[in-house]
Amino acid sequence: MSTGFFTDTTLCIGCKACEVACKQWNELPSDGFAFTGMSYDNTVHLSGTTWRHVAFVENVQMDPQGLSDHWSMMSDVCKHCTHAGCLEACPTGAIIRNEFDNVYIQPDVCNGCGYCVPSCPFGVVDMIGQVASNAAYNVATLNQERRERDETAVQGRGGVAGKCTLCYDRQRDGFIPACAKACPTESIQFGDVDELKARAHERAQTLKERGLDASLYGVGWDSSVGDLNAFFLLTDRPERYNLPPEPVLPSTRQPAGYGAAAAAALVMFACGLAIFGRSPS
Amino acid sequence: MSEPVLPALPDEAYAGAGNGKVPQLNYFNRPLLRKLHWDERVITYLFLGGAMGGSGVLAALAQRSGNEPLTRTSRYLSLALAVACPAVLVSHLGRPERFHHMLRIAKLKSPMSMGAWALVGFGALAALNAGGQLSRDGVLPAWIRRLEAPFGVRLQGMLGAFTTGYTGVLLSATAVPLWARGKYHIPAASVCSAIASACALNSLALTRDRNGGEAQIKLERLEACASVLELGLLLHFRSHAGATGKPMFEGARGERLRTWTIGAGILAPLALNAISLLTRNHKKRPFVLRALLGGALTLAGGYIFRETLIEAGKASCEDPEQAFYQSK
Amino acid sequence: MPGLGTSFGRGGSTTFLQDLQNADCILIEGSNFAEAHPVGFRFVVKAKERGATIIHVDPRFTRTSALADHYVPIRSGTDIAFLGGIINWVLTNNRYFREYVVAYTNASSIVVDTFKGTEDLDGLFSGFHGGDTGLTAMSHYGGAAQGRDSIGGYDTETWQFEHDDGGAVKRDDTLQHPRCVFQILRRHFSRYTPEMVERVCGTPQNLFLLVCETLAKNSGRDRTTAFAYAVGWTQHTVGVQYIRTAAILQMLLGNVGRPGGGVMALRGHANIQGATDIATLYDLLPGYLPMPSIERNEQTLADYLKINTKRTGWWSNLPKYVISQLKAFYGDAATKENDYCFDYLPQLTGDHSTIPTTFAMKDGVVKGYFVIGQNPVTSGQNTGLIAASMDRLQWFVNIDSYENESSSFWKREGADPTKIGTECFFLPAATVLEKDGTMTNTNRLLQFHDKAVEPAGESKSDLWYLYELGKRLKKLYAGSTQPKDRPILDMTWDYEHENERERKRGEPSASRVMQEINGYVVATGEQLKDFTECRDDGSTACGGWIYSGVYPDKNTNRARSRKGDAWTALEWGFAWPSNRRMLYNRASADPDGKPWSERKKYVWWDEQAGEWTGVDVPDFAKTKAPNTPATAGASGMDAHSGADPFIMQLDGRAQMFVAGPLKDGPLPAHYEPLASVIHNQLYSQQHNPSLKEFRRRDNPYNGSVNAEYPYVLTTYRITELSGIFTRYIPWLAELQPEAFCEIDPELAVQKGIRNGEYVTLTTAVGEIEARALVSGRMKPLRIADGKRVHQIGLPYLYGNFGFTKGDTSGDLISLSMDPNVSIHEAKTFTCDIRAGRRDRRTGPLLQDSPVPADEQIPDGQPQTHGIDQLKTERT
Ligand SMILES: Nc1nc2c(c(=O)[nH]1)N[C@H]1C(S)=C(S)[C@@H](COP(=O)(O)OP(=O)(O)OC[C@H]3O[C@@H](n4cnc5c(=O)[nH]c(N)nc54)[C@H](O)[C@@H]3O)O[C@H]1N2
Ligand SMILES: Nc1nc2c(c(=O)[nH]1)N[C@H]1C(S)=C(S)[C@@H](COP(=O)(O)OP(=O)(O)OC[C@H]3O[C@@H](n4cnc5c(=O)[nH]c(N)nc54)[C@H](O)[C@@H]3O)O[C@H]1N2
Ligand code: SF4
Ligand code: SF4
Ligand code: SF4
Ligand code: SF4
Ligand code: SF4
Ligand SMILES: [Mo]
Repeated sequence: MSTGFFTDTTLCIGCKACEVACKQWNELPSDGFAFTGMSYDNTVHLSGTTWRHVAFVENVQMDPQGLSDHWSMMSDVCKHCTHAGCLEACPTGAIIRNEFDNVYIQPDVCNGCGYCVPSCPFGVVDMIGQVASNAAYNVATLNQERRERDETAVQGRGGVAGKCTLCYDRQRDGFIPACAKACPTESIQFGDVDELKARAHERAQTLKERGLDASLYGVGWDSSVGDLNAFFLLTDRPERYNLPPEPVLPSTRQPAGYGAAAAAALVMFACGLAIFGRSPS
Repeated sequence: MSEPVLPALPDEAYAGAGNGKVPQLNYFNRPLLRKLHWDERVITYLFLGGAMGGSGVLAALAQRSGNEPLTRTSRYLSLALAVACPAVLVSHLGRPERFHHMLRIAKLKSPMSMGAWALVGFGALAALNAGGQLSRDGVLPAWIRRLEAPFGVRLQGMLGAFTTGYTGVLLSATAVPLWARGKYHIPAASVCSAIASACALNSLALTRDRNGGEAQIKLERLEACASVLELGLLLHFRSHAGATGKPMFEGARGERLRTWTIGAGILAPLALNAISLLTRNHKKRPFVLRALLGGALTLAGGYIFRETLIEAGKASCEDPEQAFYQSK
Repeated sequence: MPGLGTSFGRGGSTTFLQDLQNADCILIEGSNFAEAHPVGFRFVVKAKERGATIIHVDPRFTRTSALADHYVPIRSGTDIAFLGGIINWVLTNNRYFREYVVAYTNASSIVVDTFKGTEDLDGLFSGFHGGDTGLTAMSHYGGAAQGRDSIGGYDTETWQFEHDDGGAVKRDDTLQHPRCVFQILRRHFSRYTPEMVERVCGTPQNLFLLVCETLAKNSGRDRTTAFAYAVGWTQHTVGVQYIRTAAILQMLLGNVGRPGGGVMALRGHANIQGATDIATLYDLLPGYLPMPSIERNEQTLADYLKINTKRTGWWSNLPKYVISQLKAFYGDAATKENDYCFDYLPQLTGDHSTIPTTFAMKDGVVKGYFVIGQNPVTSGQNTGLIAASMDRLQWFVNIDSYENESSSFWKREGADPTKIGTECFFLPAATVLEKDGTMTNTNRLLQFHDKAVEPAGESKSDLWYLYELGKRLKKLYAGSTQPKDRPILDMTWDYEHENERERKRGEPSASRVMQEINGYVVATGEQLKDFTECRDDGSTACGGWIYSGVYPDKNTNRARSRKGDAWTALEWGFAWPSNRRMLYNRASADPDGKPWSERKKYVWWDEQAGEWTGVDVPDFAKTKAPNTPATAGASGMDAHSGADPFIMQLDGRAQMFVAGPLKDGPLPAHYEPLASVIHNQLYSQQHNPSLKEFRRRDNPYNGSVNAEYPYVLTTYRITELSGIFTRYIPWLAELQPEAFCEIDPELAVQKGIRNGEYVTLTTAVGEIEARALVSGRMKPLRIADGKRVHQIGLPYLYGNFGFTKGDTSGDLISLSMDPNVSIHEAKTFTCDIRAGRRDRRTGPLLQDSPVPADEQIPDGQPQTHGIDQLKTERT
């Protein structure tokens, strides 16, 4: 069975409990304290140390009638792609597909080459900076033994790639992911992906009947990344939530690349042979 | 009491698309992709790795044409670079002590994994061949020569050729819009740039060799071919990439690319070589200063080319619009 | 919460969170439900999923509005006009639930002919004399007082009902009598028309009418509408009357005591309900028993009981609870002969709530200060004054888990520690996870929790500190023969822990404290099953009668039970009173005891069994048949018929018209906030005439309508932050890293303010800076005569400790109080705004300068605002 998330943005109240629960469970440091002025979003983007991120999409007019007002919130997370760019790119095999069919980074294998970062079409995975550097606060809360014991907790020294583990450690112990557990409105639903998809289709249907243009993102679409094990129900264009409308699996470009390189190399050999010629002997 | 007409307000006055104008079709103009962490160490590797692979190719050509001086320099240079490159690579890892994890697996789908193995293979062969060369030059005992596999040099050439190109594939097989757009151009141009750099480097090394003149002149020819092809690819890429190409071809970075890679690294050496063509004397060695200058410029151009690729790649990650609609 | 207390009988929320999912419509007004109560909000979302319509009426478009079906903007401080408008609409369009209104409310009661309302007196009620506020019996718990006594600005003589010879209230069930409450209501709200609502609130008429229609459509036999509010309604100088207006509307719509209906009062801190139940309020003893008062002349137990005991209704039992409580306090020392040590209790001499006490500190009257689990220098109002008054203390004790702005008031910007003589003690407090105890949540639900980890370092539980304090005082006074020391010596004080280890380290037993609160039979020491077992002969002891039943025997702590279900969950924790989840649930059945409709059945009369049954514990005498008549002239519960659901009230009915004890009128009337941007459009009386002011140079006011302060400012909280502890948690701090205020784009452009940059807010009290968050979620409103109102929103939770920093809004707010519960007006006032940062504070603020004796007010007692001179002002 493959597990994943159905994140229903129409139920999200933007409380960020998921974001905090994730950081707490995984003992991740904060990303610093900067006021952005981007609605209520001050963490801006998923990062090596922010594995759930709540986006705030304001489309509210000053007009008190506010007929077309909507302020949608969406809890973003690693998509756990069927065909994962990060996994394909990883040269050490640190990124694996685990028994729950989740895309999982083994932090003790990762050597920090950073190639998964540009290989994720969704801009999810990122390097974890030297965590010790902000030991001033968070790392004080990091628990040393646990870090040693538990490879899903961010490794104290950073320098590795980080992203949602889909709470591998919790799943193995039969718990549901921390973010889903914390979500007060069941905007984050965890479970068997097929069941979730069925539920999602139903949900989208009901919402459509209520006159909402709800659409599923990452389900039954024709994209080289395949379906997303963490998919979303959106009421606005994907771009508004900083999601690519047409993600492409990077490795699909390799044949073209190798072909072009080979061609160029042959030309060079040819020129070389012509110029240097063959030895008389 | 009817609502008054709202004054036209500047977009930046809003924490959202609150002005009811056409909502911006991205998220606060924030990038979709994460910032690349690759620094000058990666750039240096791309550059040296190219030169290394190129030298491998030259070693094969030299062997075939029985050009003693070039055989020697190309083999020695291959080995030297095959030692330097991994060192540079390892130094840029987040966890250098785990560099060997690259060798846990071989993954066809991962250009970086392929490259790592190519590097290893190339290194081994380079060591054997250079070893053989050393014993022929009387530095090492004669029996070493026997380790020299007959096809070793050709194999080294093949791996060399691969290393000149895979870095380009490595870049274009990412979500970085600029690189993705250059899925043909970047790998091909990388090969050419690598060959050019290798020619320049070897020819520089040969300036001290009394009978290296002929090789130098041939290298300059090959370099000329590589440069011309590279130039063509760059120009075509520019028109092909359109808006996506901006970070590479426009602004200060574009300027830098034009001045150094194209101007100094390609056109200038071509001009200098033209002189050698005019002086019909082929047996004679090229005028030392010109050789040194041409070589240096080519190498500089090669480095700036890699630097521009990486830096422009970073910049292109910043642009959400480009990243949203990824090229197939 | 006298708004609910006087209307229905008890101060607590009439319903519980889980029941919201059964509502057909939920009106959220005066609360940012989703942000301040995210977990409870799940039931609103559930209701929405089931097809309910969610309406949010708020000055700001918030995360609650985002989930609501309709967002309705309103000018802060005008809800009485808004709700009054709905009442008027319901009455004029006959959309009220007649059977319910006639049977269960006092709409039919006839008021004495001397009564005059705001229609006759242009914004005043009859009996106004402008004198200072005295204390009224039962003001908090409601249970309408006999209230002949003069209360504050008003003499309530003319607010009474006509009684027949049997002492029963005269009624006209046809609701036609010109002096019946129903007709008075019609007249009173007649001028609250949709046009007027738009003039006052700035709410577009079509939206207002949409709300009216939606509420009416979703009320009645088959459907119910629930209201949810919190401090968006209470923190006003007319706060209590906001809730009264909502209560009246819910009575008219027949939504109280019924599933999916009621008034959900969202309480604040995790245990704020418990804190009021077991009396942190200065004028209450545990269980909402009034604190004896000199002013009411309650020198002896007899006087006290005579004044506070009600002849009819549940409060006729008051003596049992008071005497049992005295037995719990003083044990064997409390005997019939010595009035059960009644004279040990302190006597109120005036308003001793925090605000007057602050002034008394400033003037050197109060010399010592205990702050336990509070951070007044951040969350108070005119915080500059609070800090300045702390400078003048002799000693200051702070029990807290974290260093905060109060514990280190002498570190504040611009203060010079070398000039502050206060001796400060900081006692580290164990956090909730580090100690046993209960929390009483917004559902009136007690939940016991065990210690999860040992307290960090030297910290001790609050219980430990207080128990220890008591023990040491007893030691100090040991052997004293002076009568004045008896209260300390006679106080029962044995809460030794059952557990050996805990006892060794002096930790008292929370369970034993609970057992005493639950009560026991003095002779046998057996626990009381319920407060019905309380006696007034000294044979029972009971620390807080409303909690009685939580510890029915020494081994059962019902606050520990954890059997949940999706609705009433009677086996999860213990809800006071008697584990009832929904109050007044007798009203969920019609007068004959049958459910109003199948869809809305909850508690009903079971003919066969001859008792009330249903999904909840009936809030009614279990076997009192619906057709039981009221016995004329009887006292106690016999004065109520089997169809009178509001058992706490004198007449067993919900009170639309309150015959006292509210100090600002028997009916709600709209008054402008103390600092407003417009003159009262309804009456020439601008402000609540009974509101309390402190007219001193260290507490300046912006003025009623002052062009210098043209913008409305409101303060509130955000999900990400709460008290200081959240500011110390980086995971939370990074989510809202700096103080900010919300501004509408139009104002931003006018003032040259750019999103994300600093702005400075100013009032007569002071100035603060914050980042600007410019958004269309703030909507400029059109009010009377086309005036355009800009409202500014300011989260108040910031200070200079922790990872997320910023000025506190308290530096902007002048101190004033509502007359009934002495609450500040943090929700609505005025300010000016400019781009850029404020100057650093170097010298003393105006609050730091001492106030000349002639300007001081004795014991910090406030002045009543009185009749406005606005008539003259306006010409
Ligand atoms: N995250 C978080 N949650 C909390 C707290 C916290 O500090 N942080 N504190 C807890 C405490 S102590 C309490 S008391 C509760 C308070 O809970 P709430 O009262 O729900 O919260 P507030 O944010 O104080 O105010 C609610 C809303 O009142 C609106 N408002 C202001 N003036 C008016 C008005 O005149 N009329 C109307 N209709 N609305 C108005 C404000 O815009 C705001 O949106 O929250 C509790 N929950
Ligand atoms: N402008 C403005 N001001 C307001 C409000 C507003 O809406 N606007 N809201 C008002 C309201 S409703 C409220 S309730 C108040 C809240 O204001 P406060 O009552 O000051 O609440 P907190 O800021 O949460 O401070 C609680 C303190 O208790 C400490 N603490 C936590 N747990 C424990 C414990 O177990 N033991 C002890 N001893 N200490 C503990 C915390 O560290 C913290 O310092 O603010 C009021 N002030
Ligand atoms: S979203 Fe990105 S990081 Fe997550 S699995 Fe897909 S490719 Fe990997
Ligand atoms: S950074 Fe780590 S996880 Fe990412 S590709 Fe490199 S080795 Fe794999
Ligand atoms: S599944 Fe676990 S790791 Fe992933 S976002 Fe949720 S809490 Fe974080
Ligand atoms: S916890 Fe649930 S409701 Fe809260 S922000 Fe996350 S997804 Fe939204
Ligand atoms: S903080 Fe506690 S009380 Fe407040 S919403 Fe969350 S769980 Fe409920
Ligand atoms: Mo509160």
